[in-house]
Amino acid sequence: MTARTQVLDRAVGQAMSAVSAAAKRGLGDPALAELVVIRASQLNHCAFCLDMHLAVARGLGVSERQLDLLAAWEEAEDAFDERERAALALTEAITVLTDGFVPDEVYEKAAKHFDEARLAHLIALVVAINNWNRVMVSRRVPPGGYTP
Amino acid sequence: MTTEEVTEYAPEQPARMRWAALAPEVYKAMARLEQASKQGLDPRLVELVRLRASAINHCAFCLDMHTKDALAAGETVQRIVHLNAWEESKHFYTQKELAAIELTEAVTVLTDGFVPDEVYEKAAKHFEEAELAQLIACIAVINAWNRFGVTTRAVPGHYQPGDFS
Repeated sequence: MTARTQVLDRAVGQAMSAVSAAAKRGLGDPALAELVVIRASQLNHCAFCLDMHLAVARGLGVSERQLDLLAAWEEAEDAFDERERAALALTEAITVLTDGFVPDEVYEKAAKHFDEARLAHLIALVVAINNWNRVMVSRRVPPGGYTP
Repeated sequence: MTTEEVTEYAPEQPARMRWAALAPEVYKAMARLEQASKQGLDPRLVELVRLRASAINHCAFCLDMHTKDALAAGETVQRIVHLNAWEESKHFYTQKELAAIELTEAVTVLTDGFVPDEVYEKAAKHFEEAELAQLIACIAVINAWNRFGVTTRAVPGHYQPGDFS
């Protein structure tokens, strides 16, 4: 499949990258960031984003076991610690807004594991990848174009 | 005999956090993205897109803000209200607006599937390629604001047009 369009305004692309970079910096946990970004990309079915971020995650040394089980993290208790689980639950809630709000218990569990500034950046990271997912899926950018 | 009835509304819920103050670099980049994404698009169309996405994502703050912005820009109450049932109210909108609204829904609800070819192609008939890319960016960006608003529970009701410009 070829992309529907290659066009993306340069200023838009640069600002999107800046949102992602600032969010990642503020979270300060590159491996967790990749788990979050991959989970959102799974939910949004973004092939380009999955291809790219699985490569990034492997480059960072995220285990194959975590990557294999990420889509079923709730049933894989030994593969993800409590902090990762809190981040993944929040990622799912923020990504699937159309089914309802972000539940208090999900938000509060995340707030127990992340201080307020890190939590703000974790939220921003989920927002940022949702942004990329939308831009890539809409334009049908094929997977495989990314090299680390 | 009449007694004056006092309407007691439910109390206002506080926001969960002030994310823009906690993540100022993110906020600055979002503001740049917001500016960049609306370049080349009709401001009235942009407000319709923002309102429809905000309704689908249930962002109360965004609905409050963009309803006020749309009204301030001369939009009609009828067109704002009927956005939620646009498929049955097509005669209030142009074909170009309808194509944009349909694309907005497809891009907003990604978890149910992809953006269908027929929806994309209809939009591509009404928007030339660069304008369509901006429209997609604009839809993605309101989705981003919706996610910040809902997650941090931004409080609706206090926005006045011009607050962020």
